[in-house]
Amino acid sequence: MGPITLTVVTPLVGALLLALAPRSRDRDVKAVGLVVSLATFASSLWLLASFDRAEPDLQLAESFAWIPSIGSRIAFAVDGVSLVLILLTTLLVPIVLVASWSSVKDRLVGYTAAFLALEAAVIGVFATTDLLLFYVLFEFTLIPMYLIIGIWGGAGRRAAAVKFFLYTLAGGLLMLVGILYLHAQTGTFDYVAIRDAVVSGRLVLTGTQQAWVFAAFLVAFAVKVPLFPVHTWLPDAHTEAPTGGSVFLAGVLLKMGTFGLLRYAMPLLPDATLRYAPWLIGVSVVGVLYGAIVALMQSDVKRLVAYSSVSHMGFVVLGTFALNDVATTAAVVQMVNHGLSTGALFLLIGFLYERRHTRRIADFGGLAKQVPIMAGLWLLVSMSSLALPGLNGFVGEFPILLGTFATNRTAAVLAAFGAVLAALYLLWAYQRIFHGPLETDANRGTTDLTGREIAIMTPLLVLIVGIGLYPGPLFDLVGPSVDRVLAEVAAVAGGVR
Amino acid sequence: MSARIDVSFVALAPELVLVGAALVLLLVAITKGRPQLVLLPAGLATIALGAWVVLGGALVPGIVLALLGAAAPVLPVLLPGRATLVQAWGAGLALAAALALTVWQVDAVLGWQDGGLVASPAFAGSLANDGIGLFTRLTVYLSALLVIPLGYGYLQERRINRAEVESLVLLAAVGMAVLGSANDLVTAFVALEVLSFALYVLAGLARRDRRSQEASLKYFVTGAVASAVLLYGLALLYVATGTLSIPEIGFGLTSVLVPRAVAVAGLVLVTVGVAFKVALVPFHFWTPDVYQGSPTNVTAFMAAATKAAAFALLLRLYLVAFPALAPWWVPALAVLAAATMLYGAFAALAQHDVKRILAYSSITHAGYATIGVVALSRAGLSATLLYLLTYAVGTLAAFGVVIAIERRRRGEVTLTNLRGLGRTSPLLAGILALALLSLAGLPLTAGFIGKLEVFRAGVAGGFTWLVVIGVASSLVAAFFYLRIAGIMFLEDVPATDDPDEEAARMPVLSAGLSSATAIAAALIVVIGIQPAVLLDLADFAGVLLR
Repeated sequence: MGPITLTVVTPLVGALLLALAPRSRDRDVKAVGLVVSLATFASSLWLLASFDRAEPDLQLAESFAWIPSIGSRIAFAVDGVSLVLILLTTLLVPIVLVASWSSVKDRLVGYTAAFLALEAAVIGVFATTDLLLFYVLFEFTLIPMYLIIGIWGGAGRRAAAVKFFLYTLAGGLLMLVGILYLHAQTGTFDYVAIRDAVVSGRLVLTGTQQAWVFAAFLVAFAVKVPLFPVHTWLPDAHTEAPTGGSVFLAGVLLKMGTFGLLRYAMPLLPDATLRYAPWLIGVSVVGVLYGAIVALMQSDVKRLVAYSSVSHMGFVVLGTFALNDVATTAAVVQMVNHGLSTGALFLLIGFLYERRHTRRIADFGGLAKQVPIMAGLWLLVSMSSLALPGLNGFVGEFPILLGTFATNRTAAVLAAFGAVLAALYLLWAYQRIFHGPLETDANRGTTDLTGREIAIMTPLLVLIVGIGLYPGPLFDLVGPSVDRVLAEVAAVAGGVR
Repeated sequence: MSARIDVSFVALAPELVLVGAALVLLLVAITKGRPQLVLLPAGLATIALGAWVVLGGALVPGIVLALLGAAAPVLPVLLPGRATLVQAWGAGLALAAALALTVWQVDAVLGWQDGGLVASPAFAGSLANDGIGLFTRLTVYLSALLVIPLGYGYLQERRINRAEVESLVLLAAVGMAVLGSANDLVTAFVALEVLSFALYVLAGLARRDRRSQEASLKYFVTGAVASAVLLYGLALLYVATGTLSIPEIGFGLTSVLVPRAVAVAGLVLVTVGVAFKVALVPFHFWTPDVYQGSPTNVTAFMAAATKAAAFALLLRLYLVAFPALAPWWVPALAVLAAATMLYGAFAALAQHDVKRILAYSSITHAGYATIGVVALSRAGLSATLLYLLTYAVGTLAAFGVVIAIERRRRGEVTLTNLRGLGRTSPLLAGILALALLSLAGLPLTAGFIGKLEVFRAGVAGGFTWLVVIGVASSLVAAFFYLRIAGIMFLEDVPATDDPDEEAARMPVLSAGLSSATAIAAALIVVIGIQPAVLLDLADFAGVLLR
């Protein structure tokens, strides 16, 4: 068993263990959850250590027989992009589980099992090289997430969970049709085989065929990202999900969309990618601005961050479809950054909610004196999210704009306004919550972060500052793989075979 | 007497066992509490028959017969004074024997060649040993085998466990299996009537329940009309081609000498008749009432097994007899399939009764299975056969849970009765959720494998638009299955002071019901996670006798 399989199987085993012992005491559940998720993280570090940075293509391949009659295998391999996303996933799960110790009081064993199952499926999504297995895992992630939102969420959790489920399922099912169409043309679900057929010219799809299959993939991934105008499930899902759910949703699940675009839609359908890239750039710029403006008007701080996600993920898609190595590489880096900073923001919001049981910005004010540590961390994380130079957000967002400027000047200029608006809504929210007079009595007794909460935040803060100051290794990890995808798209679509 | 067994009887071995068992069980009912009067001689005779078969060189069926014969007189000894339980065990064992013989037939009758089975005629061309026959037997016998323990306690409690129930189930199963192999029009029609008559009676088992009587009458009237229309169509086909053999009709219709108008008129009438039987929109309207009113175990049997048998007829007629008329019927069936998938899914949204919801779901699923037919390919045939099996497994698990809840409530199950089931009995709610996920076709369930295969065949056959409609319908279906899951897991148990109501929250599970439901649920998961064996079998079975 190689490092990838171990990383997928470890959380799965943990989830099954917990599912088989539904009456376990909470203390044991916490221990099992933490140990399993840390073991998974360790396994992903082994994966990182085995990874060869000089190799741009998929590597460390492992494969097991699954459904031979239709050419589908349980096949795994990683490139730089999937590797960093797997690391992000395995890092966030222990944080999320520990953060939920105080907030989840009911049926903790189910919650932990659902999270571990979700982790296994998500790692599988990033690691698999079989289109059918990709679809299966992509859809399977819905079930634990549906339960996490629906059982442990807020007051409007049922509607939010159903909306989340149906939006994503709709996209996913269309993607299945696209995958089956490719299968009908090639007779295999093996990603590498189909991609090589496209590159070598053995599989030539006409413009119309490419457009339809591209649309099928695009719908699935656009819903997941989410791209304007199919983003409407996200604010509800984020607002109603428990803290852990929000962190994981923003941190990892949204990345499955942008990852899918980069891994599947672009290399398999290069002509359509080139043809529709300007449209997608347009849509993502609208998303950047729309998300930012709507975030500005929110009264619920969790909803505000949710809309900021729409805006930030717009940046990622913008960079992806700018189709130059600077912007597209930075888009992948920005996926990680968004996971870290938005994840950290949702954690802080969760901590605040546990103390005050409200998320309305108007209910707060003047908290900085009561909770100086929380205020300081909040400010730091906001700065990271609004791309202050020296923090991680900057090293992602700035090259995206730079690279886009080279290919599409208007889009870059318009998107830059999104960055300005981000500063406005994040700092304004910070100001209203932590500064000003301490008017409400309820705010007076608010306690500062506990040792456990600071410990949870520490790894995220270290990475936020670390990547901001020294982003080189992350770019080195991602760059070759992204360059390879872009070169392929350019070569095939440009007619150079 | 020759030592070699007549090949024809080998072709019908499972059915012969079941007919014999049905007769014995009826005789047992007459003895009024002294079952040994019948079971002992019948058992000895069966053992003797088994020994003779073994001497004839057929080891496996001989042993199966001997075991069945040995079990017959033992049952009343093990279950003294429980006549109905003896009947149920007897029927279950006979079905298990039939299932074993079906598996044995794969090797003994069908054989392997060029990546598929060898299709051959039997009984002078009246029967076909081929993939449709094999899969219909598997689906029908598996369903019947699960339905018997599923319904035993339920029928007992409703006091409608008449002695003829098991015999009727066995006869219906025989009719379905023969329909799967029927290779000429008369055999097909007789088989269809055998299974229909048994089901008309079963639907009306609850004589004091008005709904059950209504279901029986509706089923009988619409079924009779459908049979009449179908029969007229079959007669026209005979007029057009001058033969009753389905493959010869297929050959005859390719000839230019055939009167086109008569042939097409026959096709239209056959299509209407068959569409009634498999419940394609707009010929589906009897389904919800019949499914709701019939005793729930009968409904489960209808949904799982009758669907498969009716599709066997549809597959054989369209793929063997009508390929020459494909330009007429392929677009028509495609449109019917599309309408069926959409209508079934949307109509289910407005329902509150769980059995009615499952009835509309069965309508939707007929639409999916039709995708494999219009694909007009070997892959499509395999896909439809596989789909019917995965649907049967999913729907049986769902009905198992419905029966469990119904038994405690002593009345119908509506969505409100499911509130908070996830808290009071998580295992049962989990199985229902699993079954619904499978019916919705979510990954890692049997239903997904079925959908994957029909969608794959549809796309490969150039019916991408139909697959997209199927996808849209899956989405609507997922919405209401999800609503049920939400009611069970995301809502709290309604507060109540009534102690009876309090007790009603824990559904009754007898040994038979829980084991049958658990087996169905396990099959959903196993097929969903490791489908390779079943896919290979379906691929192997994608061969028709032409």
